[in-house]
Amino acid sequence: MLRLLDRFRAAWRNSRSGLDDELRFHMQQSIEQKIASGMSPAEARRSALIEFGGIEAARETTYRLRPGWLLECFADDLRYALRGFRRAPGFAITTIAILTLGIGATTAVFSVVDPILFRPLPYSHGDRLVSLGISQSLERQEFALGGFFFDWQAAQRPFVSLTYDRAYDRNPNECGLTEATPIQLHCDPVPQSFLPTLGVNPILGRNFLPEEDLPRGPHVAILSYALWNSRFHRDPNILQRTIDLDETPTRIVGVLPANFEMPRLQPFDLLVPAQLDPAAQHTVNSGIGVPMWLTARLRPGVSIEQARAEMQPLFLHTQQWIPAPIRSDFHLVVRPLRDRQMQDSYRAAWILLVAVLFVLLIAGANAASLFSARGAARQRELAVRAALGASRRRILMQSLTEALLLVLAAALAGCALAFALLRIFLYIAPTSIPFLAQARIDLRVATVAILTALLCASFFAVVSTLEPPRLAALTAHKSAGSSRLRIRHILVVAQIAVSLVLASGAVLLVKSFRNLEAQKLGMTTHGVISVQVDLNWYRYRTSQAYRDFYLRAEAALRSLPGITNVALTDSLPPDDNSWHQGTRYDAMHVMGQPPSRQTSQDAVIVRNVTPDYFLILQIPIIAGNNFTDTESNANARHFILNALLAKRLFPNGNAVGQRIQFVTDNPKAAPEPDPTIDIIDGVAADVKNAGLSGQESPEYYNLRGRGDTGSPDNGSSWNGHFLFVLSSQVPASSIAAAIETRIAAIDPMTPVTIQPLDEMVYRLADRPRFEASLLSFFALMGIIMAIVGLYGLTAYLTTQRTQEIGIRMALGAGRVRILRLITWQGARLILLGVGIGTCASLSLTHMLRSLLFEVAPRDPETLIAVTLLLVCVAFLAMVIPVRAAILVEPVTALRCE
Amino acid sequence: MPRAESNQSSDLLQGTLDLLVLQTLALEPMHGWGVAQRIQQHSGEVLQVGQGSLYPALHRLEYKGWIKADWQSSENNRRAKFYSLTAAGRRRLATELKEWDRLSSAIALVLKAGEAKV
Repeated sequence: MLRLLDRFRAAWRNSRSGLDDELRFHMQQSIEQKIASGMSPAEARRSALIEFGGIEAARETTYRLRPGWLLECFADDLRYALRGFRRAPGFAITTIAILTLGIGATTAVFSVVDPILFRPLPYSHGDRLVSLGISQSLERQEFALGGFFFDWQAAQRPFVSLTYDRAYDRNPNECGLTEATPIQLHCDPVPQSFLPTLGVNPILGRNFLPEEDLPRGPHVAILSYALWNSRFHRDPNILQRTIDLDETPTRIVGVLPANFEMPRLQPFDLLVPAQLDPAAQHTVNSGIGVPMWLTARLRPGVSIEQARAEMQPLFLHTQQWIPAPIRSDFHLVVRPLRDRQMQDSYRAAWILLVAVLFVLLIAGANAASLFSARGAARQRELAVRAALGASRRRILMQSLTEALLLVLAAALAGCALAFALLRIFLYIAPTSIPFLAQARIDLRVATVAILTALLCASFFAVVSTLEPPRLAALTAHKSAGSSRLRIRHILVVAQIAVSLVLASGAVLLVKSFRNLEAQKLGMTTHGVISVQVDLNWYRYRTSQAYRDFYLRAEAALRSLPGITNVALTDSLPPDDNSWHQGTRYDAMHVMGQPPSRQTSQDAVIVRNVTPDYFLILQIPIIAGNNFTDTESNANARHFILNALLAKRLFPNGNAVGQRIQFVTDNPKAAPEPDPTIDIIDGVAADVKNAGLSGQESPEYYNLRGRGDTGSPDNGSSWNGHFLFVLSSQVPASSIAAAIETRIAAIDPMTPVTIQPLDEMVYRLADRPRFEASLLSFFALMGIIMAIVGLYGLTAYLTTQRTQEIGIRMALGAGRVRILRLITWQGARLILLGVGIGTCASLSLTHMLRSLLFEVAPRDPETLIAVTLLLVCVAFLAMVIPVRAAILVEPVTALRCE
Repeated sequence: MPRAESNQSSDLLQGTLDLLVLQTLALEPMHGWGVAQRIQQHSGEVLQVGQGSLYPALHRLEYKGWIKADWQSSENNRRAKFYSLTAAGRRRLATELKEWDRLSSAIALVLKAGEAKV
């Protein structure tokens, strides 16, 4: 290979000298002819030379015709560029580093936010789909009820179609495939209009027929692709099959596409016809109808605002039907389906995107000023080359080659960085952000980032060479035009301003995150293990069956070595609980007191617990007594209030022993003939119970009695899911296997989830941790780049003025004086940048408001600290090169260049 | 020093020069000097081919495969590069000649029409 290359090169050189020989021969012939015609040899030679014109030019022109000429030029340029980089590695390394950061960060962040912000919904024209319904303080996610849905469906005008899927009450819509090997599935009941509204067609079979969606219709189902794949091995004859669903033979009529998902991203394995009876919706569920989630397709040309306005009369009509005291608490919600899916991930994603765009801005400004500085520094070199006969095109090509080389290196490094960053992002990302786990490096994004960098670099390379090489540049030491200097000043100011905004945002988030971590939970999490079991409901048909399981499991866990205590609860703080477990504050009436005048729609959290719950979590009972196991009986419910609720219900104290009566909101429900008597046993200290960042909510604990009354209304039914809370002396990891074995001994089919409580709490802080660490990372990068930019500019300017400094010093100016002179110029830039940055962050950080916890978006402390820090670092970056310059001996400075 | 872009200034004549070179080489293989001399002689000293455009033209024709070159001894026993027409060059010459005839007769027609008017 090498030898071949050598031969190639030899042939090349040969042809070069061949041309010279040819031209020499021509010249000799010409001279000989002239001598023959009578000229003296000297004169003949002179005249021949004149006749010939520029030998070098002829040679060059001929040369350029060679097929490989461009390639040869490129190779030359490449060699030249590499030599240049080796001579001034600072420029090359800085440029590559900055572009790498820019390309890497943009690609990684865009790959993360792309599925959140821009993922196309897997429905036809998904952007025309909206989620609508009513919301209230107990349930902020819009929902609807069967009681009014059919009125809305009949009278609405802004939508092509309006459909629903059944919202589940407390647990997912579970159903069991009761065949040879039974499994538990999610069956989502939907109407016949569901798939047509979404614009989805089954890949096999068909949608439900209208007659299949009628009450007491046939049992049919549509499979998800995943279930078809895993359970039925993509059997093409699946449509002829009948499966046993909850022990009912059900015919399969279709299979959905692989990318299908439910509009609210809830898990699903099967769709079954909802088979709702519009008339019956006024009687079931205390007359309000079943809860459901609505999805609608906008008519062409109708905007969301128009749709909301057109739905308003229908909503007002529905509102009449809500009891007066809480009527005003309900609102109509119409919003894009995508918003409903993404919730507050949206804001985090946008902030991330804005942050990375800022970083890109700084990187761009930095690269621009670097190229511009290099261009200025090379004025002389370019002028020399032009004088030696380099064409404008040749010089341009050379500059472009340099830019291309730098960007290519940065692109490679940037892609590697993007991969690494994405891995880190995914590692620290909270699981609550949908689709994040599926984020992949987007090649399109990488390409765009690299092209942008290339464009940027080429632009500045071209700009720096386009300026006609001035003769002055050959002789003078002067810097380039002042316009270019001004551009560089602006770039530095912009960088400082942008990094100030980034840094203050990051510090706010970090501060908020630390507040979140540092706050008191009101309970202990150390050494507490939660054990969650999901019972297959079709195997536990009665409350009795559930109770048997839970009590046996509790006894089994209690006997484990290392476990000191076991309690049962239906949920654990500090996680936010769903509204189905809550009640409303003004539904609680103290017996013997007049009903409170003021209405309050605050939610009250209800938790069903066994007495040991308070011991395990070390929640102190501050008044009265803890529950006792013997208290449970059918006629009285025992309560423990949290301090917050006790204070509101009994401002004068002495809550213990009082009785509470619950009034129902729904006038249609029959009045309770014999209201249960609810006795307050005690008051427990407050616990963080509405998420880590939420305000503590009023809460009461309900004694989970060991008896079984079988009545679901009085809260003592065992139906549903419970958690075991274990007080353990050994780490969860070492006892997990033993716990699983004990549970499996009672029911081998039941999946068990074991998690230490500290880990659960830690996970809750995942999102703020994610946001804070990402923004800090970007801010750090931004600041570093801005400082590098400032340092580069000052160093460059100082070098340019070395001679001037020498003259001044020779004339007797003191070093301090010169230092002050040069520093003042930079200081103006820094102050200007900081001023702009402060204004910008004052107006921009309110974007973060919803992400902050116990920190004001305009926290003066933060702003001052960040500003001071930035000013200090910037001054340092400026003073170092200036100091180096003035320490030079005046004679050396004068001789420079 | 401003650069003379010899390539550009002779653009108009380029096609014509190619034709002249091909035609000259059709007679016998020749070196560059000979080609220049021959064109000058045959044109009655009207057409003087500058070396600045002759050698680029020769090399261009060579790269295109219309002429080929080899080193031989010249009349006065010097090593010189002799160019000769290839088969492709012969075909090219035929089309160029036809093209030239068409062009010159067209120009002649235009000029004649102008004469008649005047």
